[in-house]
Amino acid sequence: MNQYQVSAAEKKFIGSHILVAILALAVGSLFGPLQAFEHAGWDFYTYLKPWIKSYYQGLTVHGVLNALVWTTFFIMGFLTFNVIFGLKRPLKNPTLNKVGFWMMVVGVLAAAIPILANQATVLFTFYPPLKANWAFYVGLTLVVVGSWVEGWGLFMTYADWRKENKSERTPFVAFGSLVTILLWQICTLGVAVEILTMLLPWSLGLIEGVDPQLARTYFWFTGHPLVYFWLLPAYISWYAMLPKQAGNGKMFSDSLARLAFWIFLVLSTPLGFHHQYVDPGVPPAWKFIHSLLTFGVFFPSMMTAFTVIASLEHAGRKQGGKGIFGWIGKLKWSDPSVTSQLLAGILFFFGGIGGLANASYNVNLVLHNTAFIPGHFHLTVATAVTLSFIGISYWLVPYLTGRKLWQPAWARIQAWVWFVGMIIFSNSMHVLGLLGAPRRVPLGLAPYVPAEWNSRLFQVGLGGAILFVSGIMYLAVMYKTATNKERVESEVIVPIAEAMQDPAKSPVWLDRWAPWIYGTLALIVIVYGPQLVEQIANIALTSPGFRVW
Amino acid sequence: MANKDKEDEEFRPTGTLAILAIFVVTLIAIWATIYMILVGRGGTL
Amino acid sequence: MSAHKMHVDSYERNWMIFSAVLLVVFATAVSVAAFGMGIQVPAPEQRVDPRTVATDPNSPWSNPGLREIAPGKYDAYILARAVPLWEYLPKELTVPAGSSVTFYVTSPDVQHGFKIQDTNANFMVLPGQVSKLTVKFDKAGTYNFICTEFCGAGHGIMYGAITVTP
Ligand code: HEM
Ligand SMILES: [Cu+2]
Ligand SMILES: [Cu+2]
Repeated sequence: MNQYQVSAAEKKFIGSHILVAILALAVGSLFGPLQAFEHAGWDFYTYLKPWIKSYYQGLTVHGVLNALVWTTFFIMGFLTFNVIFGLKRPLKNPTLNKVGFWMMVVGVLAAAIPILANQATVLFTFYPPLKANWAFYVGLTLVVVGSWVEGWGLFMTYADWRKENKSERTPFVAFGSLVTILLWQICTLGVAVEILTMLLPWSLGLIEGVDPQLARTYFWFTGHPLVYFWLLPAYISWYAMLPKQAGNGKMFSDSLARLAFWIFLVLSTPLGFHHQYVDPGVPPAWKFIHSLLTFGVFFPSMMTAFTVIASLEHAGRKQGGKGIFGWIGKLKWSDPSVTSQLLAGILFFFGGIGGLANASYNVNLVLHNTAFIPGHFHLTVATAVTLSFIGISYWLVPYLTGRKLWQPAWARIQAWVWFVGMIIFSNSMHVLGLLGAPRRVPLGLAPYVPAEWNSRLFQVGLGGAILFVSGIMYLAVMYKTATNKERVESEVIVPIAEAMQDPAKSPVWLDRWAPWIYGTLALIVIVYGPQLVEQIANIALTSPGFRVW
Repeated sequence: MANKDKEDEEFRPTGTLAILAIFVVTLIAIWATIYMILVGRGGTL
Repeated sequence: MSAHKMHVDSYERNWMIFSAVLLVVFATAVSVAAFGMGIQVPAPEQRVDPRTVATDPNSPWSNPGLREIAPGKYDAYILARAVPLWEYLPKELTVPAGSSVTFYVTSPDVQHGFKIQDTNANFMVLPGQVSKLTVKFDKAGTYNFICTEFCGAGHGIMYGAITVTP
């Protein structure tokens, strides 16, 4: 089979993203198990003192490197690949994309220096008036702006394609990637404004104080869509690649998949107040409106669940699966990329359930900032997304490097170990949260922990230990693959599932950008505008900075 | 490209519905449990 | 607009309708709890100057503590602070069973949280803002209130307790 040839230079460029991403995951994830051990009362930080001063310095490294760096770099690399490969054309202006990439790299380094110097122990949410060194804010800004620049490069490539292919439907993997990037460009305005108008001038001493409530409002303008920026690339793979890998299945509904992506674009920004249900400075009426919109954005995920599972069922039946569940065993579990993504998807069911509970307005009073929250997002970003990206890397890295995946059996076991470890870890975190345990506390040392939490705290540590093993296995597989002397015989075939109905027959409005963009902006103005105006009009820059770590 | 095969035409995702049914039952059970904790703890006004 | 109609499989259409109905049911349940049973999230109460809120003699938080405003009804002014040490002022409160206590909590320094175990009181505490919710304590016992937002090195030891006497 002949497939579109991505140039060697572009493969290298995409590969650089994946490399930075995996390095970030390697360092960032190291702290995860240490944190989990701390919950169980097994303290390692005493020995880390020369390098890492505290649990919280480590937690900042963990949050920033995993949730921001690993995700963003992997995503920008994967989406760049999808656009080039999907549209079958090279980047219009590779230099622009390179500039974006290097801005991101410099940004990560700029933020890393104060973090490692314990000058930015503010966690990945960097809520003021905790005040980090200015280089931390500059670094974050560079990462965001660099990702914008890369996005512009991809939009320009698309614009050229569109000029030459006026009536064609955008190929799905490119379409989904471009929507994801557009979503990112819109939603990151929140943190951009937060940093540029408040945190950066404040950390440089140009202004005396900040308004913590307004800062949170800006932050969560970006913070919720951020999770869709993480998730949608995994969805692209689940929709359009996994069915093919799992047994030559077809995408059950191309048009509903596209509709789901548009709904994500429109709905994922104007609901950030669902992270601020228990903030003192936001009126309940707006919180309630945002909660209804949050229920709305759950809907396209339900659509995704149906289409993805149906496409997998199609694959399994093609492989001879019979009966209601017989097709599941026929999926290609021998392929580590398939195994990782299927296991990621299974845990995402539970991530979705927890997310819906968090999002349910006053139900948040039971859950807010308890251990339930990290329990939840280790199923979503740390598993549904991370384990899917790991699965993608199992074909993408051999594709990019031309080197054979080292020990596929290890890779497969790695995914299962992650699955088991995460079930134990996350289940106990959820239960602890329901019992009232707070997040962001090394619970093994907290003075108020009742005896009834102890067995669960032990399970957190146990899950962390198992996850540690899985993480090491992944790094070993990646390292050995990247340095593997054995090369693939011919270029790895990129798995792209066909759609059951010809996409050319899907409605034209699913391939028009303007109405959806206007709709997105209008909704943001309607449900964010009034509160933003009010909070900005009443801004009180009365909080000086604190370094209390 | 994407041709509608006869076998695709006849494909009914019954297993999908079964999985989703299990999912929905779990979803309702967990959500309702947490909701009942909330309600059991009473008003805040 | 287009000659092409959207094709939706009948199973999938039913699934979508079902999902929408389910979400409406959840939204209704939440609304009943909020507007029917008065289980509400915090509303803007008042704004304060964090630089003076703990020291200005006119500020209730310069003298934090419990005030009985009517028989069995209390206002509790609580200061959550990280400087000089991570603590709540006051750290301990005592009320008789059956009391209804309205909490007014603020911070003179960084962000904190405030969660009273086994109750629906769980909210953010921000400098410059006052967080307010009410709890009715029917059962005697000790209710810890703990900090749920990272507020610096001592975040994990920051807590207090409410004793409800029979
Ligand atoms: C190797 C497996 C991992 C383990 C054992 C682990 C464990 C933990 C633990 C125990 C916490 C601290 C909870 C707290 O103090 O509240 C935490 C926080 C966190 N983890 Fe992980 N984690 C792992 C991997 C990941 C991955 C892959 C990601 C994201 C891609 C991730 C994202 C986060 C985030 C965003 C936080 C919150 C940090 C904060 O509260 O500021 N973790 N993790
Ligand atoms: Cu605190
Ligand atoms: Cu705290």
